Amino acid sequence: MMDIVTIQHLKKFFKDGPQIVKALDGIDLSIEKGKFTVIVGASGSGKTTLLNMIAGLYQPTEGNVIVDGVDLSQMKEEQLTVFRRRKIGFVFQGYNLIPELTIKENIIFPLALDDTRPDTAYFSNLVHLLGLCHYLDAYPYMLSGGAQQCAAIARALITKPSIVLADEPTGSFDIKTTQNVAGLLKMTAATFHQTLVVITHNLDLAQLADRIVRLQDGKIV
Amino acid sequence: MKNMLNILARRSFQASRMRNLIAVLAIMLTSILFTTVTTIGIGATESVTLTMQMLKGSRSDGDFHNMTAKQYKALEDADFIRAYGLRMPIGFLTNTSYHNIEFDVLDSVQADLTFCMPVHGSIPKAENEIVTSDTALRDLGVEPEVGATVSIAFTAHGQNYQLDMVVSGWFEATSEQLSMMWAGTAFRDAHPDIFEYTYDQDRDMAGTYYSDFIATSTVGLQENLDHWIWQMGGDPDATNSDNLSATINTITNPTLKPTTLLLGAVIIVLFILCGYLLIYNVFDIAVMQEIRRYGLYRTVGMSKRQVKKLINQQALWLSCIAIPLGLLIGYFIGKITLPYMVNMLSSSYENVAIHVNPSPVIFVGASVLTAFTILLSTKKPIRVAANIPPIEAFRYVEAATSKKTIKKSTMGTSLLGLAWSNLGRNKRRSAFIIASLALCIVLLNSVGIAADSVDIEKQVSYSIRTDFVVVNAVSKNIMKGFTRREHGLGQKVIEAINTQPGVNNASAIYKNTLDDSYITYNFPVEFTYTGTDENTGIGYAVTEGGIVFNLGDDGHPICNVYGMEEIALARMDIQEGETDAHKLYRQMENGEGVLLGVASDMGTSILNPAFDLLEVGDIISVFKDGEAIMELPVLAKAALNGDDEEIRYTTHGPFEVGKDGLFLYLPTSIYTQIYDEPAIYKYSFDVEEKQQETIHAFLENYITNVDPRLSYASAKEARQDAMTTRTMLQFVGGLIGIIFGAAGVLNLVNTIITTILARRHEFATMQSIGMTTKQLTRMMIWESVYYAVGACMVGLILSVILAFTIVKTLTGGIWFFTFHFTLVPAIIVCILLLMVAAILPVIALKIFNKGSMVEKLRVTE
Repeated sequence: MMDIVTIQHLKKFFKDGPQIVKALDGIDLSIEKGKFTVIVGASGSGKTTLLNMIAGLYQPTEGNVIVDGVDLSQMKEEQLTVFRRRKIGFVFQGYNLIPELTIKENIIFPLALDDTRPDTAYFSNLVHLLGLCHYLDAYPYMLSGGAQQCAAIARALITKPSIVLADEPTGSFDIKTTQNVAGLLKMTAATFHQTLVVITHNLDLAQLADRIVRLQDGKIV
Repeated sequence: MKNMLNILARRSFQASRMRNLIAVLAIMLTSILFTTVTTIGIGATESVTLTMQMLKGSRSDGDFHNMTAKQYKALEDADFIRAYGLRMPIGFLTNTSYHNIEFDVLDSVQADLTFCMPVHGSIPKAENEIVTSDTALRDLGVEPEVGATVSIAFTAHGQNYQLDMVVSGWFEATSEQLSMMWAGTAFRDAHPDIFEYTYDQDRDMAGTYYSDFIATSTVGLQENLDHWIWQMGGDPDATNSDNLSATINTITNPTLKPTTLLLGAVIIVLFILCGYLLIYNVFDIAVMQEIRRYGLYRTVGMSKRQVKKLINQQALWLSCIAIPLGLLIGYFIGKITLPYMVNMLSSSYENVAIHVNPSPVIFVGASVLTAFTILLSTKKPIRVAANIPPIEAFRYVEAATSKKTIKKSTMGTSLLGLAWSNLGRNKRRSAFIIASLALCIVLLNSVGIAADSVDIEKQVSYSIRTDFVVVNAVSKNIMKGFTRREHGLGQKVIEAINTQPGVNNASAIYKNTLDDSYITYNFPVEFTYTGTDENTGIGYAVTEGGIVFNLGDDGHPICNVYGMEEIALARMDIQEGETDAHKLYRQMENGEGVLLGVASDMGTSILNPAFDLLEVGDIISVFKDGEAIMELPVLAKAALNGDDEEIRYTTHGPFEVGKDGLFLYLPTSIYTQIYDEPAIYKYSFDVEEKQQETIHAFLENYITNVDPRLSYASAKEARQDAMTTRTMLQFVGGLIGIIFGAAGVLNLVNTIITTILARRHEFATMQSIGMTTKQLTRMMIWESVYYAVGACMVGLILSVILAFTIVKTLTGGIWFFTFHFTLVPAIIVCILLLMVAAILPVIALKIFNKGSMVEKLRVTE
């Protein structure tokens, strides 16, 4: 199986006044296509920074991030934007749905930005799997947290991205909802052969993963 | 799919009501500013142009003079002329009393171009029909009525004509001084003797052709006119040409002065700055409030271009709502303000015609300027929004944007200290709010200084030295003036005035006329040129410096000579020689000399060197019928004002009689000794304060019912004219200042509201650890008051600097201004601003910080 993400000697340092904070300090990591990878670690270990580096939201201090064969450090900002739109799906802890758009509009929003229409069958399949069929014309505030996160997952998957990145996707849910959302996330990723990278503190969710990467002080341990 | 962006734009637009309201207000205020100023600017220009056109008597692009019939006919083939009229001058009527009436033959095109079309009745068709003004008809003893018969008298080719004409139509007079009376071409055809062309022999205009025209294009008009005149055998380069000539109407086609353009540009830049400060801040705050949203858009793949498009679309919608509203409100404010503005010009142009229409130029001009300001103001906030890196957006909190080293607060954790440190969260925004509020303070104070510097008494004392002056109405006629003995006042009116209660310091003032040319004066001034005026037959002499003197029967200057009582002489501004008026008058009464009046600078009263021809001690010889009768040394010199020459700003009489000089002032006893038939040209007097209205009423009644040939001027009237300038400055300046102030307050309101909305979580946190609502309110009050205090400090300092630089220079350049520094307007505005700043957070917190603490604690950044 080929690697969808290849990270080589990745370092990311931040300045905090006179001090330099080493958020990532020499990461080498490969993520296989179609696999479910979970990144775990204590607060401040560099999990979110690593995820943001894979998304091209940060430029590395040193090293390379290659996603789907493209070296992100070589891309300009607008190229990165289009790349993210087409190749990367995001799921956030706070859902980050757009409140003025309906659930359906939220889901197809990344496609609309690219001026393309959704694959109808794929869309139906996706919303069916995520249990959103009856909520498509509703606005986010009308839905429960779990349903909103399902909509966020659908939005992340609608562009058939190379990789889906999720930052604490079940962070604000109770146990039952966490299990539901985690299950749906894994199932949809598997159904549509998506690579899934998730940051979590939740061990239940971590146990669903094909691979667990543990970070400590910016290094893989 | 493309319309997903439109949907998002539309729905987020609908969701942001508070932002929309503030943005609409901001754009509307800017639009109001531009529309008001454009309406006033264009309206005032058009009104003054129309007024001047009416005074000139033509709204044409230009006119041809002294044409022969053949030349007039050739106008048909002049392709640079779109329309032209026919005017065949005959001359002024000789049987008028107080109004000047020019009698001509016109066609309807000419009548239309020269404001002579009848408003009542119709144009003349029969040979005995005429059209003229109501004032002209009344002067001829006829009430304005179609079908009325009016007798007219005039002279043409040396022959006197007296005709009875029928009024076919009439119009309301546009000038108190002059009206046109016109007959149609049937009159010309019936009286060929009047219209015989003899101009080339005797310069009689009857028989010549004149024509006002509208050009096809005013570009290259002068060249076209010159070319046509050459073609017709004339010489356009001949100065003072008595023959065929053409002039461009500079009132219709004015040349723009660089100073006018510069002033306009400064005003536009100032308003763009005001609009910029306002709109920029509104959009900057809106973008900062929505920064997480834009970050999200960017994260899910929205490009910079798409973010820009999204915001631009909303800005466009806001503009579409706000600009038309601003245009309408601004137009009506401008229309209401215009009469005040134009009234200021009424001292220069009588009977100003207020003229403002909803011209497309006003709306297009104001829209373009507003749109430009919006584009300029939103450019940066939109760029900032588009450039938000997705990751930064998710981490954004306002305090964290500063990358500078965090300084320890010297104010500790007091409410004042917290409020102070909050200002530093966005220094640029704080600076913008302070700048926009300070701009209002500076502008209002500058206008206040300008209005305060309008020297009412300077204007009044220049135009009238007593409470009242009674004269013959000709002295108020800019084309006539006091020139003949018959214009003198009779004893009857003087006696009637003297019987009125409260009259004091009265003095009859005598003046020589053209009928007194047997009395002349000789003095040590050399003339370089002498000649005779062809029209009047009066000889004149000119000095090397171009000062002109009319000459009397014996070839010596007639001069302008006045006789007055000591009380009147004492009111004059005696500057050189014997300055004690009492001593001077005694010496003059003893025949020891004369007081010489010299034209002076209106503002400073410094004697004008060009007219200051004699020194104290120089001898002036008086001649009667060519024989020297007296020698009068110059005992003193006085600076002349309008009242010393004739009446207020009318100086036509002295110019007709003595031309530029000399102005000699004698005691009544000597004057009446020299002149055999002395004429009183005015009666000046003061009136006790409580009797002022009584005298006004008495004079009005006397003029209406006893002697309509009289007229009067009063200090009250002069004061009212002068006050108009001050009122206009206060009104227009105040209005603009208030709009600037509203812009600043709106900025402050916007900042306070968004601060409260954005910091609800922070406030809840502070309250959860023990801050009371009262303390929170106090903290916000301090924050708001700091803005106002900053604006007040900057505003006061700038007001002082500007007052002693630009305002002082500008007011120094106008004669009726005396610079008077004041900070009262600025202090009043500062107090108001501080009050608004203190009240605003209390209201805003009540409205926008609702909800339980738990709810607010759940609000995350």
